[in-house]
Amino acid sequence: MKQNSAFMRERVLPLFVWIFGLLVIWEAVSWWLLNVAKTPLAQSKLPYVHEVASTLWKYSGTLLKEGGATFGNAGVGFLIGALAGVILAVLMSLSKTIEQLAFPYAIASQMIPILGLAPIIYGIVRDEQVSRIIISGYITFFPVALNMLRGLRSVDLSALELMHSYAVKPWAVYWKLRFPAALPGLFSGLKIAAPLAVTGAILVELMGAQHGIGVIMLRNLYYGPSHTYMFWSTVLVGALLGMASYWLMSLAERLVAPWQPEFRPKGGSR
Amino acid sequence: MESSPVRDATFIASAGKEADSAPIPAANNRISSDPGRPESPRRPLRWLNPGIILPLFAGVLFLLLWEYQVFHRIFDLKKYQLPLPSAIAEAMRDNFSLLLSYTGYTLTEAVLGMLIGSACGFLIALAATAWPRWGGGSLTMVAALNAVPIVALAPIMNLWFGDGIGSRAAIVTATTMAAMAINAYKGMAAVDPLALDLMHSYAAGKPAVFRYLRIQNSLPYVFTALKINATASMIGAIVGEFFFSSRGLGYLLSNSIKVAKMPLGWSCIVLAAIAGVIFYLVVERLEKAFIKWHPSQRA
Repeated sequence: MKQNSAFMRERVLPLFVWIFGLLVIWEAVSWWLLNVAKTPLAQSKLPYVHEVASTLWKYSGTLLKEGGATFGNAGVGFLIGALAGVILAVLMSLSKTIEQLAFPYAIASQMIPILGLAPIIYGIVRDEQVSRIIISGYITFFPVALNMLRGLRSVDLSALELMHSYAVKPWAVYWKLRFPAALPGLFSGLKIAAPLAVTGAILVELMGAQHGIGVIMLRNLYYGPSHTYMFWSTVLVGALLGMASYWLMSLAERLVAPWQPEFRPKGGSR
Repeated sequence: MESSPVRDATFIASAGKEADSAPIPAANNRISSDPGRPESPRRPLRWLNPGIILPLFAGVLFLLLWEYQVFHRIFDLKKYQLPLPSAIAEAMRDNFSLLLSYTGYTLTEAVLGMLIGSACGFLIALAATAWPRWGGGSLTMVAALNAVPIVALAPIMNLWFGDGIGSRAAIVTATTMAAMAINAYKGMAAVDPLALDLMHSYAAGKPAVFRYLRIQNSLPYVFTALKINATASMIGAIVGEFFFSSRGLGYLLSNSIKVAKMPLGWSCIVLAAIAGVIFYLVVERLEKAFIKWHPSQRA
């Protein structure tokens, strides 16, 4: 119990003060822009926090529904991409030829602005649902594959030798040694990819879709100052979706691979 | 919150160097031991080894299959949906000067935003190391900012900074800050305890510890962050241009798709990729120049 309260004081209190302070500054600057500086479009630039919050509450049904549509599509694409990434990583770890064939391109594709492909894929498919899923999957694919491959490769040599000395079958080496060893790498790939998948899904929606948080974001932006609180609410929802996806992956990591050093309770003073 | 996406992103950046080497302990993931294939200069046909020839062959095959419309038949695509490489090359030749100036514009946004963002991130890391209790909160805030989709940031930055170069630079700044802050913090925090003890025994103050120990130790991490940011900043600049811009590769890309000029759109993608690779290579060269002493840079 005592340790817990110390944790609250050490970690949670500063964070709380930070968030609270930022909100107060935000509100103050917003008031200043509106009443003192009299900036044009002051509320669009920095709206009152309480107004945004009340809009968020008032339209929570719509926002939840559209956000859910975005999140669902991003999630489907994410799962497909992650699965494909894992399969490619296993193939690359099995065969040197496949790796030599695929790896330079995997690296090169990290250099290509993947999100730049989004409008092109939308132009080819012309279907919001499918193109959202394709983009999300495509974004997920490479980080997962690279990190998973790294994980599969980074097994302890002596453990591998022990397995060999027991004459273990190759699939058992994979199942019992390599996959568990690859889990941390897999999850770091997933954690990079999850917010990106949400970004990709929203991006496709902005190109002209029917449903999703990006659609109402764009509409409220174009309808001008009267919808400014709604616009900011959609931005907030988009941000929350990104954070939620990251948080979900961290949670899954904690459940699936709980033995990693960063999950151990910290001893000592710090 | 220390386990942020960016800390993990070092995986990506270093994967290329290490993945073809033997299994290495996961702990020292930055130190690239690259035994690889011994490429002795005495072997005359060195470039014929499978590590180069196979991907080259695959790339040429891919382009040929694309050019002779095999993909179009498999996926039932029309030529106006997925233009042929020859058409893309032609579009590039026709609009060469326009594309070149737009590439320069986009690259300027990316470089400017990345420099500002990385500087801010470094300062945040300094603050977080110097005052762990309160500065740590700022790291968390920056990591949260990193999870905000670029597409949500873009309209806001446009409202704040107008539709000039500033808004895209601001987008890039926001997207590159977290990687630098978290990586640099890691580097400054992960100093050798023995070295720290030695500094203390010499009665070195906090500034001296920073000056001689922490900042030096953070340099490899800083360059990893810069390499991540080099690619991220190109993405940020291009996506920013999708919305509110009258110049740049992203603007041209989204515009040429609206008027169904697919070859031009694809040539934007190709140029963006080339610019991104060049940017990355420049950062890598700088890394080689600045941290010669680090094990990962030794031949």
